[in-house]
Amino acid sequence: MVHIWPIGGGKGGSGKSFLASSLGRVLAGLGKKTLLIDLDLGAANLHTLVDVPYPVKCLSDFIHKKIPLLENTVLETPVPNLYLISGAHDSLDIANLPYEQKVKTLKAISKLNYEWILLDLGAGTSFNILDFFLISQNSIFITTPEPTSIENVYRLIRSIYFRRIRQYFNAADFKTLEEEVVQEFGEGSFNKPDCIMQAVKRAHPEKSLQLENDFNSFRFKLVLNQLRSKDNIALGAQICKIIEKHLGFQVDFAGNIAFDDRVHDAVCQRVSFLDRYPYTRTAYDLRELSKRIVNSTSEQLLIRYS
Amino acid sequence: MKKNFAKLNYYEILDITPDAAFFEIRHAYNAAIQMYRADSLVSYSFFSLEERQEILNLLEKAYLTLINGKERKNYDKELIQLGIIDNVGGKAGSKRSAGIYDASRQWGKAAVLKDSKATLKEKVAQNKHINEILSKQEISGADLKTIRNELGVAIEKIAGETKIRMDYLISIEEDKVKRLPAAAFLKGFIKSYLKCLCIEPLDDVCVRYMDCLARIGKNN
Ligand SMILES: Nc1ncnc2c1ncn2[C@@H]1O[C@H](COP(=O)(O)OP(=O)(O)OP(=O)(O)O)[C@@H](O)[C@H]1O
Ligand SMILES: [Mg+2]
Repeated sequence: MVHIWPIGGGKGGSGKSFLASSLGRVLAGLGKKTLLIDLDLGAANLHTLVDVPYPVKCLSDFIHKKIPLLENTVLETPVPNLYLISGAHDSLDIANLPYEQKVKTLKAISKLNYEWILLDLGAGTSFNILDFFLISQNSIFITTPEPTSIENVYRLIRSIYFRRIRQYFNAADFKTLEEEVVQEFGEGSFNKPDCIMQAVKRAHPEKSLQLENDFNSFRFKLVLNQLRSKDNIALGAQICKIIEKHLGFQVDFAGNIAFDDRVHDAVCQRVSFLDRYPYTRTAYDLRELSKRIVNSTSEQLLIRYS
Repeated sequence: MKKNFAKLNYYEILDITPDAAFFEIRHAYNAAIQMYRADSLVSYSFFSLEERQEILNLLEKAYLTLINGKERKNYDKELIQLGIIDNVGGKAGSKRSAGIYDASRQWGKAAVLKDSKATLKEKVAQNKHINEILSKQEISGADLKTIRNELGVAIEKIAGETKIRMDYLISIEEDKVKRLPAAAFLKGFIKSYLKCLCIEPLDDVCVRYMDCLARIGKNN
Protein backbone atom coordinates (compact mmCIF):
# COMPACT_ATOMS: atom_id res chain seq x y z
CA MET A 1 0.00 0.00 0.00
CA VAL A 2 1.29 3.43 -0.89
CA HIS A 3 1.08 6.37 1.50
CA ILE A 4 0.86 9.68 -0.29
CA TRP A 5 1.54 12.75 1.85
CA PRO A 6 1.20 16.18 0.29
CA ILE A 7 3.16 18.81 2.23
CA GLY A 8 2.13 22.42 2.07
CA GLY A 9 1.84 25.59 4.02
CA GLY A 10 2.50 29.26 4.13
CA LYS A 11 4.41 31.32 1.64
CA GLY A 12 8.13 31.61 1.49
CA GLY A 13 10.39 29.71 3.80
CA SER A 14 8.11 28.05 6.33
CA GLY A 15 10.17 24.91 5.74
CA LYS A 16 8.06 22.79 3.38
CA SER A 17 11.00 21.61 1.32
CA PHE A 18 13.23 21.15 4.34
CA LEU A 19 10.56 19.01 5.98
CA ALA A 20 9.90 17.02 2.81
CA SER A 21 13.59 16.22 2.39
CA SER A 22 14.13 15.44 6.09
CA LEU A 23 11.06 13.25 6.35
CA GLY A 24 12.12 11.51 3.15
CA ARG A 25 15.56 10.81 4.58
CA VAL A 26 14.18 9.42 7.84
CA LEU A 27 11.68 7.17 6.05
CA ALA A 28 14.32 5.94 3.63
CA GLY A 29 16.57 5.28 6.62
CA LEU A 30 13.83 3.11 8.09
CA GLY A 31 14.09 1.00 4.96
CA LYS A 32 10.95 2.34 3.32
CA LYS A 33 11.10 2.92 -0.40
CA THR A 34 10.36 6.63 -0.54
CA LEU A 35 9.77 9.04 -3.40
CA LEU A 36 9.89 12.82 -3.20
CA ILE A 37 8.04 14.76 -5.87
CA ASP A 38 8.84 18.42 -6.29
CA LEU A 39 5.59 20.03 -7.39
CA ASP A 40 6.67 23.52 -6.49
CA LEU A 41 7.05 24.06 -10.21
CA GLY A 42 8.61 27.37 -11.07
CA ALA A 43 10.43 27.47 -7.73
CA ALA A 44 11.67 23.90 -7.48
CA ASN A 45 14.64 23.29 -5.22
CA LEU A 46 14.04 19.94 -3.58
CA HIS A 47 16.80 18.37 -5.69
CA THR A 48 19.31 20.64 -3.96
CA LEU A 49 18.17 19.48 -0.54
CA VAL A 50 18.68 15.81 -1.40
CA ASP A 51 21.98 16.36 -3.14
CA VAL A 52 20.99 15.85 -6.77
CA PRO A 53 22.61 19.04 -8.10
CA TYR A 54 22.06 18.35 -11.79
CA PRO A 55 18.77 16.55 -12.36
CA VAL A 56 18.93 15.06 -15.85
CA LYS A 57 15.18 14.70 -16.19
CA CYS A 58 12.17 16.10 -14.44
CA LEU A 59 8.41 16.25 -14.18
CA SER A 60 7.95 18.53 -17.19
CA ASP A 61 9.46 15.82 -19.41
CA PHE A 62 6.40 13.78 -18.48
CA ILE A 63 3.98 16.70 -18.74
CA HIS A 64 5.31 17.60 -22.18
CA LYS A 65 5.28 13.94 -23.25
CA LYS A 66 9.03 13.70 -23.75
CA ILE A 67 9.00 10.81 -21.30
CA PRO A 68 5.75 8.82 -21.60
CA LEU A 69 5.91 7.06 -18.23
CA LEU A 70 6.10 9.06 -15.00
CA GLU A 71 8.09 6.20 -13.46
CA ASN A 72 10.86 6.93 -15.94
CA THR A 73 11.38 10.47 -14.68
CA VAL A 74 12.42 9.14 -11.26
CA LEU A 75 15.98 9.93 -10.22
CA GLU A 76 18.09 8.13 -7.67
CA THR A 77 19.55 10.16 -4.82
CA PRO A 78 22.76 9.43 -2.90
CA VAL A 79 20.52 8.17 -0.06
CA PRO A 80 19.57 4.48 -0.35
CA ASN A 81 15.79 3.99 -0.73
CA LEU A 82 15.24 7.68 -1.46
CA TYR A 83 14.10 8.72 -4.94
CA LEU A 84 13.17 12.01 -6.52
CA ILE A 85 11.06 13.42 -9.28
CA SER A 86 12.53 16.84 -9.75
CA GLY A 87 10.74 19.97 -10.83
CA ALA A 88 13.94 21.71 -11.69
CA HIS A 89 13.52 22.65 -15.33
CA ASP A 90 9.87 23.56 -15.17
CA SER A 91 9.20 27.07 -16.25
CA LEU A 92 5.52 26.32 -15.85
CA ASP A 93 3.79 27.40 -12.65
CA ILE A 94 1.63 24.64 -11.20
CA ALA A 95 -1.31 27.05 -11.00
CA ASN A 96 -1.27 27.22 -14.80
CA LEU A 97 -1.06 23.50 -15.46
CA PRO A 98 -3.80 22.74 -18.00
CA TYR A 99 -6.62 20.52 -16.79
CA GLU A 100 -5.76 17.44 -18.90
CA GLN A 101 -2.12 17.55 -17.81
CA LYS A 102 -3.15 17.84 -14.21
CA VAL A 103 -5.49 14.87 -14.35
CA LYS A 104 -2.88 12.84 -16.20
CA THR A 105 -0.24 13.69 -13.58
CA LEU A 106 -2.53 12.98 -10.63
CA LYS A 107 -3.44 9.60 -12.10
CA ALA A 108 0.18 8.72 -12.80
CA ILE A 109 1.26 9.64 -9.26
CA SER A 110 -1.36 7.46 -7.64
CA LYS A 111 -0.17 4.50 -9.70
CA LEU A 112 3.51 4.78 -8.75
CA ASN A 113 4.94 1.88 -6.85
CA TYR A 114 6.56 3.28 -3.70
CA GLU A 115 5.82 2.79 -0.04
CA TRP A 116 5.87 6.49 0.70
CA ILE A 117 5.38 9.41 -1.66
CA LEU A 118 5.90 12.92 -0.35
CA LEU A 119 4.72 15.87 -2.43
CA ASP A 120 6.36 19.25 -1.94
CA LEU A 121 3.52 21.48 -3.01
CA GLY A 122 4.92 24.93 -2.59
CA ALA A 123 2.79 27.83 -1.44
CA GLY A 124 -0.53 29.11 -2.65
CA THR A 125 -4.15 28.01 -2.90
CA SER A 126 -4.76 27.72 -6.63
CA PHE A 127 -7.26 25.03 -7.63
CA ASN A 128 -4.47 22.92 -9.06
CA ILE A 129 -2.55 22.93 -5.78
CA LEU A 130 -5.72 22.06 -3.88
CA ASP A 131 -6.38 19.14 -6.21
CA PHE A 132 -2.93 17.76 -5.51
CA PHE A 133 -3.69 17.96 -1.78
CA LEU A 134 -6.92 16.07 -2.36
CA ILE A 135 -5.14 13.23 -4.15
CA SER A 136 -4.76 11.68 -0.70
CA GLN A 137 -6.59 11.68 2.62
CA ASN A 138 -3.33 12.64 4.28
CA SER A 139 -1.70 16.04 4.34
CA ILE A 140 0.92 17.86 6.32
CA PHE A 141 0.60 21.59 6.83
CA ILE A 142 3.63 23.42 8.06
CA THR A 143 3.77 26.87 9.56
CA THR A 144 6.14 29.01 11.58
CA PRO A 145 4.96 30.77 14.73
CA GLU A 146 4.37 34.00 12.82
CA PRO A 147 0.97 35.55 12.14
CA THR A 148 1.62 35.73 8.40
CA SER A 149 2.43 32.07 8.12
CA ILE A 150 -0.44 30.96 10.36
CA GLU A 151 -2.82 33.10 8.34
CA ASN A 152 -1.73 31.27 5.19
CA VAL A 153 -2.28 27.88 6.76
CA TYR A 154 -5.79 28.77 7.88
CA ARG A 155 -6.58 29.92 4.38
CA LEU A 156 -5.10 26.78 2.89
CA ILE A 157 -7.11 24.47 5.15
CA ARG A 158 -10.33 26.35 4.47
CA SER A 159 -9.61 26.25 0.74
CA ILE A 160 -9.02 22.51 0.71
CA TYR A 161 -12.33 21.82 2.39
CA PHE A 162 -14.00 24.33 0.14
CA ARG A 163 -12.53 22.67 -2.92
CA ARG A 164 -13.70 19.27 -1.76
CA ILE A 165 -17.23 20.54 -1.37
CA ARG A 166 -17.01 22.18 -4.77
CA GLN A 167 -16.00 18.89 -6.39
CA TYR A 168 -19.37 17.39 -5.48
CA PHE A 169 -21.41 19.88 -7.49
CA ASN A 170 -21.74 21.11 -11.01
CA ALA A 171 -21.29 24.81 -11.64
CA ALA A 172 -24.97 25.68 -11.68
CA ASP A 173 -25.86 23.84 -8.47
CA PHE A 174 -22.90 25.33 -6.72
CA LYS A 175 -23.91 28.82 -7.74
CA THR A 176 -27.36 28.33 -6.25
CA LEU A 177 -25.75 27.03 -3.11
CA GLU A 178 -23.50 30.06 -2.85
CA GLU A 179 -26.44 32.39 -3.21
CA GLU A 180 -28.30 30.62 -0.46
CA VAL A 181 -25.31 30.85 1.83
CA VAL A 182 -24.87 34.55 1.26
CA GLN A 183 -28.55 35.11 1.84
CA GLU A 184 -28.47 33.25 5.11
CA PHE A 185 -25.07 34.09 6.58
CA GLY A 186 -24.36 37.39 4.95
CA GLU A 187 -21.80 38.88 2.62
CA GLY A 188 -18.39 37.16 2.70
CA SER A 189 -19.74 33.88 4.03
CA PHE A 190 -19.81 32.11 0.66
CA ASN A 191 -16.19 31.00 1.06
CA LYS A 192 -16.60 29.70 4.58
CA PRO A 193 -16.77 25.91 4.45
CA ASP A 194 -18.68 25.70 7.73
CA CYS A 195 -21.46 27.94 6.39
CA ILE A 196 -21.60 26.10 3.08
CA MET A 197 -21.82 22.74 4.82
CA GLN A 198 -24.91 23.89 6.68
CA ALA A 199 -26.53 24.84 3.41
CA VAL A 200 -25.50 21.54 1.81
CA LYS A 201 -27.00 19.66 4.71
CA ARG A 202 -30.35 21.24 4.07
CA ALA A 203 -30.49 21.22 0.28
CA HIS A 204 -28.52 18.02 -0.47
CA PRO A 205 -28.64 15.74 2.58
CA GLU A 206 -27.19 12.72 0.76
CA LYS A 207 -24.20 14.71 -0.49
CA SER A 208 -23.69 16.18 2.93
CA LEU A 209 -23.37 12.67 4.34
CA GLN A 210 -20.79 11.71 1.72
CA LEU A 211 -18.86 14.88 2.40
CA GLU A 212 -18.84 14.29 6.12
CA ASN A 213 -17.53 10.82 5.43
CA ASP A 214 -14.75 12.35 3.37
CA PHE A 215 -13.90 14.87 6.03
CA ASN A 216 -13.82 12.21 8.71
CA SER A 217 -11.37 10.17 6.68
CA PHE A 218 -8.96 13.09 6.24
CA ARG A 219 -5.72 12.71 8.16
CA PHE A 220 -4.48 16.25 8.30
CA LYS A 221 -1.40 17.04 10.36
CA LEU A 222 -0.03 20.35 11.49
CA VAL A 223 3.67 20.94 12.05
CA LEU A 224 5.05 24.03 13.72
CA ASN A 225 8.50 24.79 12.40
CA GLN A 226 11.28 27.14 13.51
CA LEU A 227 10.13 27.35 17.09
CA ARG A 228 12.46 29.49 19.18
CA SER A 229 12.87 29.26 22.92
CA LYS A 230 10.60 32.21 23.62
CA ASP A 231 7.76 30.89 21.48
CA ASN A 232 4.65 29.37 22.95
CA ILE A 233 5.13 25.61 22.71
CA ALA A 234 1.38 25.05 22.96
CA LEU A 235 0.70 27.14 19.87
CA GLY A 236 0.33 24.18 17.50
CA ALA A 237 -2.18 22.43 19.70
CA GLN A 238 -4.12 25.66 20.09
CA ILE A 239 -4.27 26.19 16.34
CA CYS A 240 -5.69 22.69 15.90
CA LYS A 241 -8.21 23.36 18.63
CA ILE A 242 -9.46 26.54 16.98
CA ILE A 243 -9.85 24.72 13.68
CA GLU A 244 -11.78 21.93 15.34
CA LYS A 245 -13.99 24.18 17.43
CA HIS A 246 -14.83 26.74 14.82
CA LEU A 247 -14.57 24.92 11.49
CA GLY A 248 -15.50 21.50 12.80
CA PHE A 249 -12.54 19.83 11.06
CA GLN A 250 -10.02 17.67 12.76
CA VAL A 251 -6.37 18.50 12.25
CA ASP A 252 -3.89 16.65 14.46
CA PHE A 253 -0.93 18.49 15.84
CA ALA A 254 2.10 16.44 14.81
CA GLY A 255 4.79 18.37 16.67
CA ASN A 256 7.18 21.28 16.93
CA ILE A 257 10.50 21.57 15.12
CA ALA A 258 12.98 23.74 16.96
CA PHE A 259 14.71 26.59 15.18
CA ASP A 260 18.41 26.01 14.68
CA ASP A 261 20.86 28.24 12.82
CA ARG A 262 22.71 25.16 11.71
CA VAL A 263 19.83 24.27 9.36
CA HIS A 264 21.01 27.18 7.28
CA ASP A 265 24.61 25.92 7.48
CA ALA A 266 23.60 22.43 6.39
CA VAL A 267 21.53 23.76 3.47
CA CYS A 268 24.42 25.95 2.34
CA GLN A 269 26.88 23.08 2.53
CA ARG A 270 24.32 20.86 0.80
CA VAL A 271 24.62 18.17 3.43
CA SER A 272 21.88 16.43 5.35
CA PHE A 273 21.12 18.32 8.56
CA LEU A 274 20.06 15.07 10.21
CA ASP A 275 23.40 13.41 9.46
CA ARG A 276 25.54 16.43 10.21
CA TYR A 277 23.85 17.49 13.49
CA PRO A 278 22.07 14.37 14.71
CA TYR A 279 22.06 15.35 18.38
CA THR A 280 20.41 18.73 18.10
CA ARG A 281 16.94 19.38 19.37
CA THR A 282 15.86 20.03 15.79
CA ALA A 283 17.09 16.63 14.59
CA TYR A 284 15.40 14.95 17.53
CA ASP A 285 12.15 16.77 16.71
CA LEU A 286 12.35 15.67 13.08
CA ARG A 287 12.85 12.04 14.05
CA GLU A 288 9.99 12.13 16.55
CA LEU A 289 7.74 13.77 14.01
CA SER A 290 8.52 11.12 11.42
CA LYS A 291 7.75 8.40 13.93
CA ARG A 292 4.40 9.97 14.68
CA ILE A 293 3.54 10.22 11.03
CA VAL A 294 4.51 6.62 10.34
CA ASN A 295 2.47 5.48 13.34
CA SER A 296 -0.57 7.45 12.28
CA THR A 297 -0.71 5.47 9.07
CA SER A 298 -0.69 2.19 10.94
CA GLU A 299 -3.70 3.47 12.88
CA GLN A 300 -5.31 4.15 9.57
CA LEU A 301 -4.60 0.65 8.28
CA LEU A 302 -6.01 -0.87 11.43
CA ILE A 303 -9.20 1.08 11.04
CA ARG A 304 -9.52 0.12 7.44
CA TYR A 305 -8.97 -3.60 7.88
CA SER A 306 -10.72 -4.18 11.17
CA MET B 1 -18.50 18.12 11.39
CA LYS B 2 -18.91 19.16 14.96
CA LYS B 3 -21.54 21.36 16.50
CA ASN B 4 -21.56 25.02 15.69
CA PHE B 5 -19.59 27.03 18.27
CA ALA B 6 -22.54 29.26 19.11
CA LYS B 7 -24.55 26.17 20.01
CA LEU B 8 -22.05 24.80 22.50
CA ASN B 9 -22.98 24.95 26.16
CA TYR B 10 -20.84 26.82 28.67
CA TYR B 11 -18.93 23.71 29.67
CA GLU B 12 -18.15 22.84 26.08
CA ILE B 13 -17.13 26.39 25.32
CA LEU B 14 -14.59 26.29 28.13
CA ASP B 15 -13.59 22.66 27.45
CA ILE B 16 -14.42 21.44 30.92
CA THR B 17 -16.71 18.75 32.32
CA PRO B 18 -19.95 19.58 34.11
CA ASP B 19 -18.37 18.57 37.44
CA ALA B 20 -15.42 20.97 37.06
CA ALA B 21 -14.25 22.57 40.28
CA PHE B 22 -13.91 26.31 40.68
CA PHE B 23 -10.18 26.46 39.98
CA GLU B 24 -10.61 24.37 36.84
CA ILE B 25 -13.15 26.84 35.54
CA ARG B 26 -10.85 29.75 36.22
CA HIS B 27 -7.96 27.98 34.61
CA ALA B 28 -10.02 27.08 31.54
CA TYR B 29 -11.25 30.64 31.24
CA ASN B 30 -7.73 32.03 31.39
CA ALA B 31 -6.55 29.52 28.81
CA ALA B 32 -9.41 30.42 26.49
CA ILE B 33 -8.74 34.14 26.83
CA GLN B 34 -5.14 33.49 25.85
CA MET B 35 -6.39 31.99 22.61
CA TYR B 36 -9.07 34.49 21.69
CA ARG B 37 -7.52 37.77 22.76
CA ALA B 38 -7.02 40.27 19.96
CA ASP B 39 -3.24 40.01 20.23
CA SER B 40 -3.23 36.20 20.25
CA LEU B 41 -1.13 34.59 17.56
CA VAL B 42 -3.52 31.63 17.41
CA SER B 43 -6.70 33.37 16.47
CA TYR B 44 -5.22 36.35 14.70
CA SER B 45 -6.65 36.35 11.15
CA PHE B 46 -9.06 33.57 12.02
CA PHE B 47 -11.94 35.80 13.09
CA SER B 48 -13.34 39.09 12.04
CA LEU B 49 -13.48 41.84 14.64
CA GLU B 50 -17.14 41.20 15.36
CA GLU B 51 -16.71 37.44 15.55
CA ARG B 52 -13.91 37.81 18.06
CA GLN B 53 -15.90 40.21 20.23
CA GLU B 54 -18.85 37.88 20.17
CA ILE B 55 -16.72 34.96 21.31
CA LEU B 56 -15.07 36.97 24.07
CA ASN B 57 -18.49 38.06 25.33
CA LEU B 58 -19.69 34.50 25.28
CA LEU B 59 -16.63 33.30 27.19
CA GLU B 60 -17.12 35.94 29.82
CA LYS B 61 -20.76 35.07 30.22
CA ALA B 62 -19.91 31.39 30.57
CA TYR B 63 -17.25 32.16 33.14
CA LEU B 64 -19.34 34.51 35.23
CA THR B 65 -22.23 32.07 35.25
CA LEU B 66 -20.18 29.04 36.23
CA ILE B 67 -18.23 30.67 39.05
CA ASN B 68 -21.41 31.90 40.66
CA GLY B 69 -22.81 29.02 42.71
CA LYS B 70 -26.42 30.05 42.42
CA GLU B 71 -26.36 30.91 38.75
CA ARG B 72 -24.49 27.75 37.96
CA LYS B 73 -27.13 25.67 39.71
CA ASN B 74 -29.84 27.31 37.65
CA TYR B 75 -27.88 26.85 34.46
CA ASP B 76 -27.21 23.19 35.26
CA LYS B 77 -30.91 22.70 35.91
CA GLU B 78 -31.68 24.01 32.44
CA LEU B 79 -29.16 21.67 30.85
CA ILE B 80 -30.47 18.71 32.83
CA GLN B 81 -34.01 19.47 31.75
CA LEU B 82 -32.90 19.64 28.14
CA GLY B 83 -31.20 16.29 28.65
CA ILE B 84 -27.84 17.78 27.72
CA ILE B 85 -26.05 16.77 30.89
CA ASP B 86 -26.77 14.10 33.49
CA ASN B 87 -27.70 15.02 36.99
CA VAL B 88 -24.22 15.44 38.39
CA GLY B 89 -25.47 16.70 41.75
CA GLY B 90 -23.83 14.29 44.18
CA LYS B 91 -20.45 13.95 42.57
CA ALA B 92 -20.08 17.51 41.43
CA GLY B 93 -21.39 18.88 44.69
CA SER B 94 -18.79 17.07 46.73
CA LYS B 95 -15.99 18.09 44.43
CA ARG B 96 -17.17 21.65 44.39
CA SER B 97 -17.86 22.31 48.02
CA ALA B 98 -15.57 20.00 49.92
CA GLY B 99 -12.25 21.19 48.75
CA ILE B 100 -12.33 24.55 47.09
CA TYR B 101 -9.85 25.93 49.57
CA ASP B 102 -7.54 22.92 49.46
CA ALA B 103 -7.90 22.56 45.76
CA SER B 104 -7.00 26.10 44.94
CA ARG B 105 -4.09 26.00 47.35
CA GLN B 106 -2.78 22.92 45.68
CA TRP B 107 -3.31 24.51 42.34
CA GLY B 108 -1.26 27.50 43.44
CA LYS B 109 1.60 25.28 44.53
CA ALA B 110 1.60 23.29 41.33
CA ALA B 111 1.62 26.50 39.36
CA VAL B 112 4.73 27.72 41.14
CA LEU B 113 6.51 24.44 40.50
CA LYS B 114 5.45 24.50 36.86
CA ASP B 115 6.67 28.06 36.58
CA SER B 116 10.13 27.33 37.89
CA LYS B 117 10.35 24.37 35.51
CA ALA B 118 9.40 26.65 32.67
CA THR B 119 12.17 29.11 33.60
CA LEU B 120 14.63 26.25 33.77
CA LYS B 121 13.55 25.06 30.35
CA GLU B 122 14.02 28.51 28.97
CA LYS B 123 17.46 28.75 30.53
CA VAL B 124 18.42 25.42 28.99
CA ALA B 125 17.22 26.52 25.58
CA GLN B 126 19.05 29.82 25.69
CA ASN B 127 22.34 28.82 27.23
CA LYS B 128 24.90 28.45 24.49
CA HIS B 129 27.35 26.48 26.59
CA ILE B 130 24.68 23.95 27.56
CA ASN B 131 23.56 23.57 23.97
CA GLU B 132 27.10 22.92 22.86
CA ILE B 133 27.40 20.18 25.45
CA LEU B 134 24.06 18.71 24.44
CA SER B 135 25.04 18.40 20.80
CA LYS B 136 28.13 16.35 21.62
CA GLN B 137 28.22 12.63 20.82
CA GLU B 138 29.29 11.75 24.34
CA ILE B 139 28.37 13.43 27.58
CA SER B 140 30.41 12.88 30.74
CA GLY B 141 29.57 13.32 34.40
CA ALA B 142 31.72 16.44 34.37
CA ASP B 143 29.54 17.78 31.55
CA LEU B 144 26.46 17.18 33.67
CA LYS B 145 28.08 19.13 36.49
CA THR B 146 28.82 22.00 34.13
CA ILE B 147 25.21 22.04 32.98
CA ARG B 148 23.98 22.02 36.58
CA ASN B 149 26.26 24.91 37.49
CA GLU B 150 25.26 26.88 34.43
CA LEU B 151 21.67 26.56 35.54
CA GLY B 152 22.55 27.51 39.09
CA VAL B 153 20.93 24.44 40.64
CA ALA B 154 22.51 23.18 43.88
CA ILE B 155 23.48 19.52 44.10
CA GLU B 156 21.56 19.30 47.39
CA LYS B 157 18.43 20.32 45.55
CA ILE B 158 18.88 17.43 43.12
CA ALA B 159 19.46 15.05 46.01
CA GLY B 160 16.29 16.31 47.66
CA GLU B 161 14.14 16.11 44.57
CA THR B 162 15.42 12.78 43.21
CA LYS B 163 16.16 11.03 46.53
CA ILE B 164 19.47 9.88 45.07
CA ARG B 165 22.22 9.56 47.69
CA MET B 166 24.63 12.47 47.78
CA ASP B 167 27.74 10.30 47.39
CA TYR B 168 26.31 8.78 44.21
CA LEU B 169 25.61 12.20 42.78
CA ILE B 170 29.16 13.31 43.49
CA SER B 171 30.62 10.15 41.96
CA ILE B 172 28.51 10.72 38.86
CA GLU B 173 29.67 14.31 38.48
CA GLU B 174 33.30 13.37 39.03
CA ASP B 175 33.16 10.35 36.73
CA LYS B 176 34.34 8.04 39.49
CA VAL B 177 33.43 4.96 37.49
CA LYS B 178 34.23 2.39 40.17
CA ARG B 179 31.95 4.00 42.73
CA LEU B 180 28.90 4.09 40.52
CA PRO B 181 25.96 1.74 40.97
CA ALA B 182 25.08 -0.99 38.45
CA ALA B 183 24.13 0.23 34.98
CA ALA B 184 20.43 -0.48 35.42
CA PHE B 185 20.27 1.75 38.50
CA LEU B 186 22.63 4.31 37.08
CA LYS B 187 20.42 4.87 34.05
CA GLY B 188 17.47 5.61 36.30
CA PHE B 189 19.57 8.01 38.34
CA ILE B 190 20.81 9.85 35.30
CA LYS B 191 17.31 10.26 33.96
CA SER B 192 16.02 11.63 37.26
CA TYR B 193 18.98 13.97 37.36
CA LEU B 194 18.30 15.21 33.82
CA LYS B 195 14.61 15.58 34.53
CA CYS B 196 15.39 17.71 37.54
CA LEU B 197 17.32 20.07 35.28
CA CYS B 198 14.71 19.96 32.48
CA ILE B 199 17.23 18.50 30.03
CA GLU B 200 15.66 16.79 27.04
CA PRO B 201 15.49 14.36 25.30
CA LEU B 202 15.99 12.20 28.38
CA ASP B 203 16.66 8.84 26.74
CA ASP B 204 18.94 10.25 24.12
CA VAL B 205 21.17 12.16 26.55
CA CYS B 206 21.23 9.20 28.90
CA VAL B 207 22.46 6.90 26.14
CA ARG B 208 25.25 9.30 25.30
CA TYR B 209 26.25 9.50 28.96
CA MET B 210 26.39 5.69 29.15
CA ASP B 211 28.48 5.58 25.96
CA CYS B 212 30.91 8.04 27.44
CA LEU B 213 31.13 6.05 30.65
CA ALA B 214 31.81 2.85 28.73
CA ARG B 215 34.75 4.50 27.01
CA ILE B 216 36.18 5.93 30.26
CA GLY B 217 35.81 2.47 31.83
CA LYS B 218 37.76 0.87 28.99
CA ASN B 219 40.59 3.40 29.15
CA ASN B 220 41.10 2.83 32.84
N1 LIG C 1 13.86 24.38 11.82
C1 LIG C 1 14.56 25.35 11.18
N2 LIG C 1 15.50 26.08 11.84
C2 LIG C 1 16.19 27.04 11.21
N3 LIG C 1 16.02 27.35 9.92
C3 LIG C 1 15.11 26.68 9.21
C4 LIG C 1 14.34 25.64 9.78
N4 LIG C 1 13.53 25.14 8.82
C5 LIG C 1 13.78 25.85 7.71
N5 LIG C 1 14.74 26.78 7.94
C6 LIG C 1 15.30 27.76 7.01
O1 LIG C 1 14.30 28.22 6.15
C7 LIG C 1 14.75 28.14 4.83
C8 LIG C 1 13.60 27.87 3.90
O2 LIG C 1 13.15 26.55 4.06
P1 LIG C 1 12.44 25.78 2.89
O3 LIG C 1 13.16 25.98 1.62
O4 LIG C 1 12.21 24.40 3.34
O5 LIG C 1 11.07 26.58 2.85
P2 LIG C 1 9.84 26.39 1.87
O6 LIG C 1 8.62 26.43 2.72
O7 LIG C 1 10.03 25.20 1.02
O8 LIG C 1 9.92 27.74 1.04
P3 LIG C 1 9.33 28.03 -0.44
O9 LIG C 1 7.89 28.42 -0.26
O10 LIG C 1 10.14 29.19 -0.89
O11 LIG C 1 9.52 26.81 -1.25
C9 LIG C 1 15.79 27.03 4.83
O12 LIG C 1 16.74 27.21 3.85
C10 LIG C 1 16.41 27.16 6.17
O13 LIG C 1 17.50 28.06 6.13
MG1 LIG D 1 10.23 24.95 -1.09
